[in-house]
Amino acid sequence: IGEKVQAIYLWWHKPVINKELLQSLPNLKVIANSGVGMDHLDLKLVASFGVKMANAPRAVSSTTADTGMALLLASARRLVEVHNISISPSMEKYCEADILGVKVTGATLGIIGMGSIGYKIALRAKAFEMNILYHNRTRRKVQEEQAVGATYCKKIDSLLQQADFVMLVVSLTPQTHKLIGKRELELMKPTATLINISRGAVVDQEALLAALQTGVIRAAALDVTSPEPLPRDHPLLKLKNIIITPHLGIKTDKATYMITEEAVENILAALNGLPLPSEVLPS
Amino acid sequence: MWFHRPPINEELLQSLPNLKVVASCGVGIDHLDLKLISSYGVKVSNTPFAVSTDTADMGMALLLASARRLVEGHEMAVSPDTEYFPADWLGVEVSGATLGILGMGTIGYKVAERAKAFEMKILYHNRNQRKKEEESAVGAVYCKKIDDLLQQSDFVLLAVTLTPQTHKLIGKRELELMKPTATLINISRGLVVDQDALVEALQNKVIKAAALDVTYPEPLPRDHPLLKLKNVLITPHIGSATKKTRWVMMEEMAESIEAGLAGLPIPREVL
Repeated sequence: IGEKVQAIYLWWHKPVINKELLQSLPNLKVIANSGVGMDHLDLKLVASFGVKMANAPRAVSSTTADTGMALLLASARRLVEVHNISISPSMEKYCEADILGVKVTGATLGIIGMGSIGYKIALRAKAFEMNILYHNRTRRKVQEEQAVGATYCKKIDSLLQQADFVMLVVSLTPQTHKLIGKRELELMKPTATLINISRGAVVDQEALLAALQTGVIRAAALDVTSPEPLPRDHPLLKLKNIIITPHLGIKTDKATYMITEEAVENILAALNGLPLPSEVLPS
Repeated sequence: MWFHRPPINEELLQSLPNLKVVASCGVGIDHLDLKLISSYGVKVSNTPFAVSTDTADMGMALLLASARRLVEGHEMAVSPDTEYFPADWLGVEVSGATLGILGMGTIGYKVAERAKAFEMKILYHNRNQRKKEEESAVGAVYCKKIDDLLQQSDFVLLAVTLTPQTHKLIGKRELELMKPTATLINISRGLVVDQDALVEALQNKVIKAAALDVTYPEPLPRDHPLLKLKNVLITPHIGSATKKTRWVMMEEMAESIEAGLAGLPIPREVL
């Protein structure tokens, strides 16, 4: 059966693409990924077998930006905590002062990684009258900055020191691995919230745990962790000031459909010897 | 007064002969009998604009959390029983969806401003149509008939004041007009919704989900069916519950009280 396989549609990192699999599929022409991140693939290895790779960049940006804003708002207004209070079987009297949240309108949002997803977040945050700072490998055009009122921070430190909400939207690369560690967390305000919608490995999880336990930062909202899911006894799961979601990123009916459409487009192009709409090459 | 306490009734007013002003927190004054209070020569103030942006933020927070199943997702992520995240576990798309806003006052309009940035199509129903420039600024389309809004919306958000006309505005008929894939979000007052009809609609999948910052009463009795439904998100009336806004509200209430005691015109007086 291995001889018949010409294309693989990768759904959530499965099947695992390793040497054995590639060797067993001599007629494989293309691997289409569901989603935009390619950090789980050894691009050079796959290319060495003459197999093309594609991701699905168009479908994900709005949906992932929505996830980022959902987490920001839920954390700021303590939704998980207060929902549990609202439905709790015991009528525990809670002190109102204990459930006050943080104001989002007019607060400062620091976006680390201003690609298509980061930019869509900036568009949304602007409608909440947020003051937007961003840090990126390269600076965006002036018109793009002005359209969302974003200020470029060449040094990440400057962003970390001013932001009330820090949102991670980078791709995972050797440069962004553990981008946020003890040093970065200590630069953040003690009233700040860290939101991660990129990859778990962008954050030094041990350092984050310590920072949340000791009040170095106020709270965190993580759609991604390392690994996913976390081991059931992981200390992050027990913290009060954390929201963890199961990699919601693009998990909607509409996005899933669009991602599959993009993947099929790429697969058909590869099988017909045509240029792929969203080919990913090893850098 | 804070959150309807103390109740301002005839006994209280009679026992406080020198009472000059009642400063109410927030914008809603449905809990006050204005005619009664005025008959005792007592003035009333509220804090109408301090709450607007936080309440609009809350509306969006509830919309997003409900659509993307955030609370459920968190529970799955931290549950001791979770072994993996199922691949077919999906939420509903917000970007590009249709939001129907019932009540386009200050708060409703701020919700529209936020929703526009999520590429949402915005419909609204209001006592009066807004100016053309205001509509264009947020891309909002007026629905003279509430039915039109209910039939087309993926998300229906209630941002009306509670009045005799809006009491049980959303009942069985309105819920049945909504799409079975639609979500109801309430940031106005619990009594704007016929709660029994809502419970039935949610149980029978007449609508998909509800997200309520307000109920009747608050809090609900612990055995109320709404507390047990999986497709309901409830928050304890925290529309304006942020440190900064509470600070401003307190300042405004103190200011109104001082003016009242000094016999000066009262800022934010409710007539």
